Amino acid sequence: MRMAVILIAAAVLAGCDEIPPEHRVAGGDAGAGRRTVADIGCAACHQVPGVAGPAGMVGPPLKGFGRRAMIAGVAANRPEALVRWLLDPPAMAPGTAMPDLGLTEAQARDVAAFLYTLR
Amino acid sequence: MLQSALRTATPQAESLAGLWWLMLGLSVAVFAVVMALLAAGLLMPRRPPPGERVIMVGVGVTVVVLGGLLVHSTLVGARVAAGTDGDPLRVEVVGRQWWWEVRYPQDGAVLANEIRLPAGRPVEIALISGDVIHSFWVPGLAGKMDLVPGHPNLLRITPAEPGVFRGQCGEYCGTQHALMAFMVVVQPPADFARWLVGQGEPAAEPADGLAARGRALFLSSGCGACHTVRGTAADGRVGPDLTHVGSRLTIGAGILPQNVGTLGGWIANSQAIKPGNAMPVFDQFSGGELRAIATWLAGLE
Amino acid sequence: MSAPGESGREALNRVWAQPRGWRYFSEVNNTAVGLWYLAAGLGFFAVAGVLALLMRLQLAWPWMGFLGPEAYNQVFTMHGTIMMVVFAVPIMEAVAVYVLPQMLGVRDLPFPRLSSYGFWCYLLGGLLLLSSFLFGPVPNGGWFMYTPLSGPEYTPGLNTDFWLLGLTFIEISAVAACIELIVGIMKTRAPGMSLDRMPILGWAFLTVAVMILFAFPPLLLGDVLLEAERVLDWPFFDAGRGGDPLLWQHLFWFFGHPEVYIIFLPGAAMVSTILPTFCGRPLVGHQWVVVATIATGILSFGLWVHHMFAAGIPLLSLSLFSAASMAVAIPSGIQVFAWLATLWGARPRWDTPFLFVIGFLVIFVIGGLTGVMVASVPFDWQVTDTHFVVAHFHYVLIGGAIFPLFGALTYWFPLPSGRLMDETVGKWSFWLMFVGFNVTFFPLHVLGLLGMPRRVYTYPGGLGWEWLNLTATIGAFVLGAGVAVFFANLAWSWKRGRPAGHDPWKAGTLEWAGPTPLTDSGGASVPRVRSLHPLWDQPAEMAAAARGEALMCRPTTHGRETLRVSAVSAEPQQVIQVSGPGWSQVAAAAATAVMFGAGTFHLWGVAAAGGVVTLALLTRWAWHSDRQPPMARVDIGQGIVVPTYAADHSSHAWWAAVVAVLFDGAAYLALLSAYVFLWLVNPVWPPPPWEGRIALGDILAGGGMLAVAAVLAHAGAGLHRRGRHWALPAGLGGAVAVAVAVAWTGLSTLTAADLGPTRHAFPATVWVMALYTLVHLGVATLLALLVLARQAAGLVTPVRRMTVMMTVLAWDFAAFTGLASMAMLVLWPATGGGGGICTW
Repeated sequence: MRMAVILIAAAVLAGCDEIPPEHRVAGGDAGAGRRTVADIGCAACHQVPGVAGPAGMVGPPLKGFGRRAMIAGVAANRPEALVRWLLDPPAMAPGTAMPDLGLTEAQARDVAAFLYTLR
Repeated sequence: MLQSALRTATPQAESLAGLWWLMLGLSVAVFAVVMALLAAGLLMPRRPPPGERVIMVGVGVTVVVLGGLLVHSTLVGARVAAGTDGDPLRVEVVGRQWWWEVRYPQDGAVLANEIRLPAGRPVEIALISGDVIHSFWVPGLAGKMDLVPGHPNLLRITPAEPGVFRGQCGEYCGTQHALMAFMVVVQPPADFARWLVGQGEPAAEPADGLAARGRALFLSSGCGACHTVRGTAADGRVGPDLTHVGSRLTIGAGILPQNVGTLGGWIANSQAIKPGNAMPVFDQFSGGELRAIATWLAGLE
Repeated sequence: MSAPGESGREALNRVWAQPRGWRYFSEVNNTAVGLWYLAAGLGFFAVAGVLALLMRLQLAWPWMGFLGPEAYNQVFTMHGTIMMVVFAVPIMEAVAVYVLPQMLGVRDLPFPRLSSYGFWCYLLGGLLLLSSFLFGPVPNGGWFMYTPLSGPEYTPGLNTDFWLLGLTFIEISAVAACIELIVGIMKTRAPGMSLDRMPILGWAFLTVAVMILFAFPPLLLGDVLLEAERVLDWPFFDAGRGGDPLLWQHLFWFFGHPEVYIIFLPGAAMVSTILPTFCGRPLVGHQWVVVATIATGILSFGLWVHHMFAAGIPLLSLSLFSAASMAVAIPSGIQVFAWLATLWGARPRWDTPFLFVIGFLVIFVIGGLTGVMVASVPFDWQVTDTHFVVAHFHYVLIGGAIFPLFGALTYWFPLPSGRLMDETVGKWSFWLMFVGFNVTFFPLHVLGLLGMPRRVYTYPGGLGWEWLNLTATIGAFVLGAGVAVFFANLAWSWKRGRPAGHDPWKAGTLEWAGPTPLTDSGGASVPRVRSLHPLWDQPAEMAAAARGEALMCRPTTHGRETLRVSAVSAEPQQVIQVSGPGWSQVAAAAATAVMFGAGTFHLWGVAAAGGVVTLALLTRWAWHSDRQPPMARVDIGQGIVVPTYAADHSSHAWWAAVVAVLFDGAAYLALLSAYVFLWLVNPVWPPPPWEGRIALGDILAGGGMLAVAAVLAHAGAGLHRRGRHWALPAGLGGAVAVAVAVAWTGLSTLTAADLGPTRHAFPATVWVMALYTLVHLGVATLLALLVLARQAAGLVTPVRRMTVMMTVLAWDFAAFTGLASMAMLVLWPATGGGGGICTW
């Protein structure tokens, strides 16, 4: 039930766009990714559509992330780069405030898959 | 169902849940009878009304049921308030707008928004208001008890087995009453004892250069005016004691999980997360600086 | 008397004719004022209802960003405050003002101008409260306004002050309504309507008025103390300086709990009115229901602590309040059984008013059952301040008051409009409301048990609360749609509804005796009543009365008049002249609004000017009261001759004065209770700095002088009554002189004792007690001067002496408060360990 509403909400927000092939994350489970986003509290910094949480105003809102060209202004928005970013942001952008959140590779793939549903 | 009054872990909360199920049963029965009488009265063929005697019968039944319930409820109340026998652990909880300070006076441990208790031992929680009226409520462990300025109260509970419970302020206390929550972790006695010893110790030394830089920034940015980190110069008493903040489950009074990311987000802009809370926005740090402070704090286990 | 050739009915129509155009608002008659009252009440209801929808939107899902925390807190505070005190109590007063005179068979209640003043104060007070949305500092401390959150330290803005401002006006209108209803119900009924023939609605409003008399004064005192703490820093609720936040809770809930029954009892009485009509038979157990109504009123004063079960009060005292809280279910049960018995095999007519009654029964029974649950102390520890309680009291209040009220509005709609509300639309509004209500509030029970507190602007996900909240939000909009449909039906049917004709529901009570819509005079003549249901049991007599063939079929004293009867057996005692249209009550209400409104913004000059104007207008009003028509006795028909003036203890004016003094006395008693309460919570009372500060001799001298003042007033009045005209100026003048001396010595003694009211709750309380008496001495002095001026103008004589009697009563009361306060100061601390304030 709960999933259904979130998917409906995500679908509405996404304008019902299909996720394009270049944003398909191998082995990534968007549903699990959404739960991870909720569990680690990404909302402290980001507004994340489809994940109820406080309106964090530190990093960019993640609405439409699937249509963004760049990740943090340092890398093209592709699954491999996104997973790498999620695993260790300072490695890609030394000056970033976003820390290494200690995600596992699998978690990072799930989160990436979820982020690409935000269109 | 972290916060349900029907998922209980103390004999006290269990008595209250038992009272609920009993009263629910009685109420369903009474409601069914009254509705049946209503429906029958409305649908039956025309006939003269009954005499006033039926009112007397109804009153008689009501008095008997209510009298029995009153006696039972009073006995439950007395039993719950008395707590259980044994050498109690004493914990002090101070309610402030809008967070909870938790002290273990016998062990010198001070923390915020998290209470750990050993399973199987009676606990006496002294409830003290630091400003306005709050109410201490962990539905799984006990009913509410108010924190009233000038009236320290005592709550007695006996957590039966390990588990995690969420509690929340039960009395409207201003802007952020809604986000004044806390976690209660009931642990096996040995784990609890180890944890308590750790909480009484001063803060750990920074594990790496980033954390050391974070500590320096924390101290030079004036954070110590409000926060205490035992073992450093920070000795403020306005906000939560952060000596072991990295060991806690949540930040912001039970509203976000505690980790290096949420700590950074909270520091940079807690007003977006919990508008009106006492901590100002710290948006002067560079990304690296913010990460350093958050890394140090998250390491304070 | 009447113009030559004018019939009685024409003369009645002339004196009772309501002004047209904008002058309509100078009207004071109950049929006009009652309608405005109802309209204003429903307007405030709509506003508070919209606020509720905003809250439900914000709570529809976790972490909604629709309302921020501050906005949400303002919205829930205003929703509660408006619903409880600006809508529910006033709308019940409005129903009473509109319907009761018709139901009791009289042309008007005895004090129409007072009722009208109450209405204007109410309207302005409600608007001033709402104006906080324009100025910004919307009250945000909850409708219960707990200290210290609402105090100067934690709410430094004007938010709390706006709330106190609004409540002050509600208090004024409540006092007005309370005097009007008690005296009206006891003294102005159709001849023969002895108490045992009075409809349940009369009993309910009598009970409610007496409850207001004792429940509102403690809140008034609490308001004054809180405002004094906020403006003057007198620490009544500051635990650090000898005050106690729980004092506020006691004062508030001593009002707040009876308040709930003040709302519910009229609702229940509407059910007891509508249900027999639609069943076509008398209410089974009428006397039982009367007793239950009164018992509920009495018991409701024993329940206030059940709002404080979690405050840490000793369990033994809690058990007593728990018992009282459960006991109040018994009279409610009596009423439910009486209704069920009346319905039994009655084959009722299913028109909209009856649907609302049945909806009420279903909802109210659930609310009653959860009420018994929260009366259990230990269970309440879990659910108090959660959504379980939100569910409970909405079941009781919407079920117990809104459903009956909407039924009653449909039922009585023909009286002002002459038309029936549309049945089909009415049924739609009922079903939308009934379904919407249950979908909204039933899930909240579960939410409370799952741990969701009240008064939270948001909540995290994952606690199992999401779907229940979403359901409740959807239900709220269905409920809102039902209310909107009902309002639309009201508006549409007002001009376009089906004409109702005579007694459309075949009811048995007097409001249906005449044609619909009601005529301005409220009937061609006043019938003699011999039954609880005159229209059923004496149809021929009622028809004759409607043709103008009973009592008072023409004005006998030139003006508007109503009949005063004996309190119990309702035998005619006097024809009372009542006020006609005029603007003084509107002007006085406006000046009152300026006084309190400017005071809220600390514009003391403007406030003082408003106060002076208010006083002047009230003086002018008083100057024209206590009228004595030129004809001493008049024939009201059927050979009954009654006086037109009386200044004795059976007079309606005397009753009104006594009711006013009882209200005042209840406030004073609350003050003494506050003193005792603070004595109990403070370890040393008075605190050492104030031990032995005042010489006993000074206190005894002050007390002696107060007694002398009262004796002088009595002696002057007594001798004047026996024809010694000089005695009145001598006695009252002497009393005033002594009062000035008492005020002077009292103030200098207190100043010399260096009581410093900001330092501790003890000196602050002593000051309030002293000021209480001083203010009342001031009022007594003003009344004395007014009486002397009236005597000089020939308006006071040994016969026409009601104002003298009232003035003496004011002196008695002022002296009583002074003596009681002094006794308290001298005796109570002295027996409580520690030294007293006096040096012996």
